[in-house]
Amino acid sequence: MVSGESTPLLACRNIFKYFGALVAVNDFDLDVHVGDVVGIGGPNGAGKTTFLDVISGINPATSGEIKLQGRDISKLRPDLICHRGMARTFQLNAGFDSLTIRENVLIGSAFGLGDRGVPAVTFSRAMRERVDRALELCRLTERADAVARDVPVLERKLLMLASAVATEPKLLLVDEPVGGLNPHEVDDVMEIVDGLAAEGMTIILIEHVMRFLLQISSRVVIMHHGEKIYEGDTEGLLSDRRVVEVYLGEGTADRLQHMLADRAGANG
Amino acid sequence: MKTRDYILFAILLAVAAAFPFMGVPRYIIASALLLFCYATVVSQWNLVFGVAGIFSLAQLAIFAFGAYTSALMGRYLDWSLWPTFPVAGAAGVVFSIFIGLACLRMRGIYVALLTLAISQTMFVLIQTDSDCSALNKVINPATCVSFTGGAQGLGDFGTFGWREVLGGRNWMMGDYYTMLGLLIVALVFTAAMTQSRIGLAFKALRDNEELATSRGVSVFKYQLIVFAASAFLTSMAGAFYAAHFGSVGSNLVGFALLLFLISMLVVGGIGRLWGPLLGAGLLMVADEFFKEFSDLRNIGLGVVVLLFMIFLPEGVAGAIESVCKRLQRIPLVQRIEQQLAERLRRRSAAPD
Repeated sequence: MVSGESTPLLACRNIFKYFGALVAVNDFDLDVHVGDVVGIGGPNGAGKTTFLDVISGINPATSGEIKLQGRDISKLRPDLICHRGMARTFQLNAGFDSLTIRENVLIGSAFGLGDRGVPAVTFSRAMRERVDRALELCRLTERADAVARDVPVLERKLLMLASAVATEPKLLLVDEPVGGLNPHEVDDVMEIVDGLAAEGMTIILIEHVMRFLLQISSRVVIMHHGEKIYEGDTEGLLSDRRVVEVYLGEGTADRLQHMLADRAGANG
Repeated sequence: MKTRDYILFAILLAVAAAFPFMGVPRYIIASALLLFCYATVVSQWNLVFGVAGIFSLAQLAIFAFGAYTSALMGRYLDWSLWPTFPVAGAAGVVFSIFIGLACLRMRGIYVALLTLAISQTMFVLIQTDSDCSALNKVINPATCVSFTGGAQGLGDFGTFGWREVLGGRNWMMGDYYTMLGLLIVALVFTAAMTQSRIGLAFKALRDNEELATSRGVSVFKYQLIVFAASAFLTSMAGAFYAAHFGSVGSNLVGFALLLFLISMLVVGGIGRLWGPLLGAGLLMVADEFFKEFSDLRNIGLGVVVLLFMIFLPEGVAGAIESVCKRLQRIPLVQRIEQQLAERLRRRSAAPD
């Protein structure tokens, strides 16, 4: 990376997370620079979601250093971390169920950028504009008045993404954006996330659908038993013995290799 | 809030304002006045319970706190009651913030347990405050009377004072309109609060706390705001209650009243705009029938709450809403609605 020498947007050093005797995240390091799209993969229970919980403050690290733009955030509450410019989505389709899609996104916009003192009674114009922008980026504009409880799974996922986008994050954490979606919908989400990256958002995403992960990420990290077993580009990943053994299996690795080759051919 | 809500509000307001002149018997005026008082408390409770989703049962403790603040100031400081009302309101806010702080790290049922314990402690403290207890020897060494009036209750601290202004026959009117005024303020306040940015934070925390904090909503801040905001008018309602009856007692924080008000909340529709008013109205009317049965009254209320929880969890307000929605799906109703809207538009567009 060109920006490799400057301060990373997110710098994680020696992160440990224990649940009793269980080590969920084990001595984990990660640097993310502005403009990166880092994909995290790995078997179930590898500690991927726990890692996101740790850096977003939902479930603080047992030990380790987490810096966002050079400032320590490891002891901050989730709402304050959000104000510093990090927003996340959840693996389960979390939403504010009784509210409309627009109101859901408005919450991100109204509180996500900072909320000092007693808040004003009304919503500013800038807030509403951020909502419109986020809805547009996540292709929800037409569905804005639907109540979150009633919308199908794809829209719920996009809704969660839109409310994160409305906080204008410098770093966006996305937890399994395409889990449970059909191939067609996966492509839609891929376009949307690509669009967000094109907007200049730096992204860390977790995904089991390798097709999605490999196509969208500029760098891939594979976790296993809380440790990082691979970090690097997608080509290296598929020929890495340990990753193939632990996670992908020979068949999948072959299939993905063909897919990437086809794609490279089509682009070239 | 939609146009129809404003219209409904205006109609109800007109009816309530004209009500005492419709030749209804005096005891009905007195019941209506009590309805306003309870509806005020329930509307504030709805803000905590329904809008912010915090299962606090402390609302009556705050209500009683306000009533006693006002009564004690009237009795021992010889204040006229009017200036004690804002003081009672403010005292209620402080009291409520402490309760909010105590509940901060608790969720769901645990909040209900703690706040119920606070109410019961208050009840017992008042009940057991007998003449010449250790406390009263310090406060009132000469006469050694019970400070809060104990189980007998406290009186002799003044009233609204409408009897002096309006005379012996019409003082009830003064109390009626005073209480109505409080209810109007309470309804406008809760509606505005619910629509506001602060209200959106309450709803966010209610629907999904983890997601809300991840979107920058501070649990600490908004939980304290909701406890503070809902306490002022609740506590004022307590003070108004004391001023109307001219006496206060431990029953203000007793189980029977708690059950009665929670029934209003549940029957009306938790978290609904019109829920508290509907619930208070229905329960006050129903109570007229239950009154004959004294002991069975609480059992009856319990059954009502149970049935609503099972069959109509959204309350009467929720039921009416879903019926309206279903009606709007009928083509004929849609056509009528369109024509009405069209006619309204033409009328407002036409030059006069």
